[in-house]
Order: sequence, then structure tokens, then C-alpha cells
Amino acid sequence: MSIILETREVCKTYGSSKAADHISLQIPQGSIYGLLGPNGAGKTTLIRMLTTITKPDTGLILFKGEPLQENHASRMGYMPEERGLYKKMSVLDQLLFFAEIKGVKPQQAKITAKKWLARLDMQTWENKKIEELSKGMAQKVQFLTTIIHNPEFIILDEPFSGFDPVNADLIKDLILELNKNGATLLFSTHRMDNVEELCDYLCIVDHGQVKLNGEAGGLRRKMFKNQYEVGYLKSVSFLEDYLQPISSVQTADGRNIYTFQLQNSSEVEILLSLATKKGDLIHFSEALPTIHQIFVDTIKNNSNG
Amino acid sequence: MDKIWVILKREYITRVKNKMFIIMTLLGPILIALFYGGIFLVATQDASDKKIRHALFKDNNGFFADKLDSFDNYKFKTTTLAKSEALKKVSSGEYDSYLEINDKELQTIDSIDWVSKKTLSLLQSEKLGNLLASKVYKTRLQNIGLSKGKIDSLKPAASVHTIEIDENGGLKNSSSMAKSGIGIFLAFVVYMFIFIYGSMIMRSTLEEKTNRIVEVVISSVKPFQLMMGKILGVALVGLTQFAAWIVLSLGFITVISAVIGGKMIETAQKLPTGMPGPGAALSKNAAGGQMLEVFSNLPYGQIIVIFLIFFLGGFLLYSSMFAAIGSAANQETDTQQFMLPISLPLVFGIVIAQTTVFQDPHGPMAKIFSLIPFTSPILMVVRSPFGIPWSEVALSALILIATFVFFVWMTGRIYRIGILMYGKKPTWRELGKWIFRKN
Repeated sequence: MSIILETREVCKTYGSSKAADHISLQIPQGSIYGLLGPNGAGKTTLIRMLTTITKPDTGLILFKGEPLQENHASRMGYMPEERGLYKKMSVLDQLLFFAEIKGVKPQQAKITAKKWLARLDMQTWENKKIEELSKGMAQKVQFLTTIIHNPEFIILDEPFSGFDPVNADLIKDLILELNKNGATLLFSTHRMDNVEELCDYLCIVDHGQVKLNGEAGGLRRKMFKNQYEVGYLKSVSFLEDYLQPISSVQTADGRNIYTFQLQNSSEVEILLSLATKKGDLIHFSEALPTIHQIFVDTIKNNSNG
Repeated sequence: MDKIWVILKREYITRVKNKMFIIMTLLGPILIALFYGGIFLVATQDASDKKIRHALFKDNNGFFADKLDSFDNYKFKTTTLAKSEALKKVSSGEYDSYLEINDKELQTIDSIDWVSKKTLSLLQSEKLGNLLASKVYKTRLQNIGLSKGKIDSLKPAASVHTIEIDENGGLKNSSSMAKSGIGIFLAFVVYMFIFIYGSMIMRSTLEEKTNRIVEVVISSVKPFQLMMGKILGVALVGLTQFAAWIVLSLGFITVISAVIGGKMIETAQKLPTGMPGPGAALSKNAAGGQMLEVFSNLPYGQIIVIFLIFFLGGFLLYSSMFAAIGSAANQETDTQQFMLPISLPLVFGIVIAQTTVFQDPHGPMAKIFSLIPFTSPILMVVRSPFGIPWSEVALSALILIATFVFFVWMTGRIYRIGILMYGKKPTWRELGKWIFRKN
């Protein structure tokens, strides 16, 4: 597994606040990497350093093993959370401009831009000014400006915020396609459902520090707290039993799910035999923590400690 | 350099394609012509009251051998009434004013009273003073025995004909009026362009910042490149507009003189000769020729070189400051606090330009402010038609260029921090700190 981007003990201070406090992380090539953290945790500071907008006070950033330089930025695409385009410029001119500042030759940029516009059924819009477009349309253009130069490394800050579900799915498909074609993606978000669905790796930052990072599945297993789920079509009672559920929920499709906290794995068999006696068992599984739980636990522990 | 070019190209093309720009470029010469025509009309129109007014005049000691009968729209009636009686007539409205000479001696007259409901304007009171002085002068001449006819025949009329001589003894007709006019016109062009295009840079920087476009752009272009590309692009737009105006104006003038020029010459020839005016002593053709010669004798080469150097230098200096302001602000209203200190030197420059050009375009005041880089773009341009030694031009240009390089460096440092700073409006102190902050 090769690493496309690595930070080593990166620090950045603004006044008296430490926006980045010895941040070390590795982003594997070809991965979809989730950068999570509450507001003000230092995500934007970190992204600005990765995109060469600012420089770390101390520490090192490596892009494909080389110390990060400004010309690396042309191999990256960056879509900030707050979107903006030149309102008075046409769609095509806009795409060409953003391609050209990334060093793409004008002729090449034109071919790529036309290709993408065709791909998104937007050919008829190419001469429209941004101010004439609908919001969803402008957001698609924004996404295209981020990837028009075919970047190897794409940073998306809250990529789905403001998109309607149809466009969000469209963008999600594009992201997966870009990833399949070799691009590495970094997501900065606090929408956990997207992280769960898309990210292979994740990193939780708070107060400028990395609180947790690693491969998403591995993290969930690492954070596994011996909780198990049992499910039935009808509701059942465990009142008289040795094991008591810590929570019960009825799902929208009519299943009743009971979660049990076990002391150790030897209790699994006890739970299973108990569960089968209660009725028609339709579900029995480990309850791996959701990314959401991991996030909340990590941030909570952090603020408690 | 490539990146600056890409930014410059975008700034230039989007602005030049803009409808407002095209309209202003086409209408500009017409508007300027109307503006100057309007000023000319107002300046030449007699704005004074045309209504005939009546004034009582009392010459206590009989100084005026010659009768004083009128002045502007005032008709005088000599009176011997007592002052209090005369004043009553004025206050009751029967007469408009009362003029009284109190002096006992003819040597000095400084005790003249003008009583009226409405004060005389500055111009009129000066005129009245001159009129009375010339009457007294005549009286004195008559007192030493000159006849009235003799006095009138001795009255001189003078108009100065300015001619320049060069090192080789060549003579050229020149006109301070034409030079001042051109100088002030060019200075106003510099002034207007710096303000209009400077604030355009400021607004565009602010727009990029509030739209957050800037974050994407500076992840691939250095803030300094973005700022320079923007400034140079807008400067080029300004030059384009100016060049278009010159071409259009020349075309305009050619067409107009072709259409109505012939007619005007015809009417001019029909006019009776000996009309009073500056060219009265000369024949019509000679006067026209002289005016043409004055214009063709202007040091156009120097005017153009100076205009280009100082227009660009001044524009770059000021627009870098405008860009820094735009980067530091979060909304348009934030900019006002910062605008004042940078517009003051410019306004001051135009005021100095107008005073020096009429008094002494080569005097110490003009020279000093021609060296100060904040006023030199205006002062040098206003003085350019009068001819400035090349050594002075070079010194002033060097100072301007050095200052602008320093300011572009400094404002670039503010800009780079400012465009990423959101939230509250920064103070001057914070701007100062940004200059020295590392990236």
C-alpha cells in the first residue's frame, strides 16, 4: 500500500490557538479518506496546508514521498465547503479558467471540459453565465471545476451539503467512478452516513489533534464493546432472564431489535440459546459501533479528559 | 508568470466583454465632450443679474470730474441728499443701493461705502473698485492739465504673446492656456482612472473573498500572482478604454469638422472685422494658424511618455492598496474606513496640480510634489505639456517605481492573509501585523 499524502508532526498556531497540534496521518493511495471533526477542530487548517495555501509552522508534509511543493497543488482538486464561482462568467469559460490555473493547456482543457459537460448532459448550458443557472446546476459546475484537470488527489469539504438527493447521488457516483479510476479522495465532513457508506479510512480530529485514525472497518472492530443484537418479528420479553437487553427498538419494517451488553465472548453462546427459545429468531449479530458512535464517543472522551 | 497571465487574461476578457464597459467606451468621448462643453458654457455664460438696478451716488468732495453713470446692471444717479435720507430711500426699496465716497484727499481713496440689501459679489466689488480707480486716475490726469480726448487716446491695450525659445534659438508659439488645459485634463484622467479602476480591483477582490472563490484559486496560484494578475489585467482594461477613447474622439472630431467645419469658416468670414477679442489685432487666418501652431508645438513625445509611465506607476501603486483593502474587508461597508487615507493624497494631488499649474508649473511646490510618489502621478502629468527636464522625469519615475515595488510587496503580504480571514473587520494594527506574519 503506497501513501499518496503524509503529514508528520504538523503544527500550526494562530495567535494563541493551536489549529494543528502535532498532526501525523497517512492517506493511502486510491483510498477514500474521511476527515471528521466538530466545527473548529482544525479541519480547514489542515486542508489549507495540504493544498499549499498555507505552510505548517513545524512538521513535514509529503506528497508521494516528496516534501510538498506548490507544483504538487496542480495535481490536486479542492472543493471548499462554501462554494463560489464567478457569476458573470460562462460555464465553459469558468471550467477553462480553473483548468488553466492548474496548468492544463487551453486546447486540452477545452476537450476535457466538453467531455464532462456532455457526460452530465450540460452541453446546452456551456455558454450560460453562472448567475443564470439554478443552484443545483451551479453546484455541478463547481464539482466539475474541481476535477477538470484530472487530479490524482481530490479534497472535498462537505461535498454533499446543499445538493438535492438526485444530484447528491450523481456526485456520489462520480466520486466512486473517479476513485475506481485511481483518484484518492479526502472527505471533510460531519455527515456520518456518507462516511460510513464511502470511506475506507477515517481520521477524527479535535482541538487540532488526531484523536483516532485508521481503516474504517478495523476501527469499528477495535471499538467493539461486546454488544450483540437479537431480532424478532414479534416483540418478546426478557424480564425473567439472566441477560437483560440494554436497549430495544422497533424498526420501520416491523422488526424488534434488542441489544445486549455481554461481559465477554463466552456469553455469546448463552445469549444465542436464550434467544432461540423466545420465538422465531430472524436476526443475530455483533453490534459494531457506527461511525457516528465512534465519533461521538471520541469527541466526548476527549472533552471529558 | 504563466499563472499571472492566466489571471490577467480572465480579468481582462471578462471586463472587456462586459456590456457596461462597451457602452462606456463608446459613449465616453460623447460624455466627455458634453461635460467639457457644459463647463465651457457655464464658464463663459454671464451668470450675473440682468435686471437694471438703480443706485444713488454721492461724491462728497467732488473727485469725479467724469460722470459716473453705470456699472454692470447698475445705473447711477448723482445725489446731494444727506446720507440718512439716501439710506432711507434704499431701505424702502426706492433705490437698490447707495455709493458714497468719503475721502477728503485725492491721493488715497480707501473709504468707499456701498450700501445695499444684497451684497455685491466678489467679482462685482472688484470690478467696481477698478472702475472707480480708473475714474480717479482720469480725474488726476485732468487735474494736471490733460484734455479728455488726449487721455482716451493714451489708453493702452495689451495682450501678451508667449513664445518659447530652444537651445538652438528656434522660436515657437506657445500658450499657457492650452498647456494648462491639456495638463489638467490629463491629470483628471489619471485621477479618475485610479479611482474608478482602483475600486474595481477592490470590489473584485472582495467578491472573490466573499464568494470563497479565492480559496480554490490560491490553492493553485500564489496570492501575489493573483493580485498582480488582477492589477495588471485591470490596468490593461483601463488603457484599452483610454486608447479607444482617443481613436473615437479623433474620428469624432474628423467627422464633425468635415460636416460643420466648412459652415463655421463661412460664417467666420462673414463676421465684421475688428471684432474685439484676443485675436483682434491679427487677421483671422493668422489667429487660427497661431492656435494650430500652439497645439502642434506641444512636446507630445514627452507628454505621452510621462502619461504612460506615471499613469501606470500611479495606478499600480494605488491599486495595490485598493487590493489590500478589498482583501481585508468582509463587506463593502468595511472598506470605507480604509478608503479615506488612501484617497486623501490623491485628492490633495489634484488640488496642488490646479494651483501650481496656474501659478508656476516649474516652481518649488510643483517640484517637491512631483517627487512624492503619492502625488507625482498627477503632478508630473499636469506639468508635462510645459516641458520637464528628462533628469527630473527620471528621478521622479525612479522614486515612484521603487515605492510601488515596496507597496506591492507590502500590500501583497496583507492580501495573502486578508483573503483567508473571515469574521470581524481588522484594525490598522492587525493589518500591520499581517505584513510580518509568516505563511
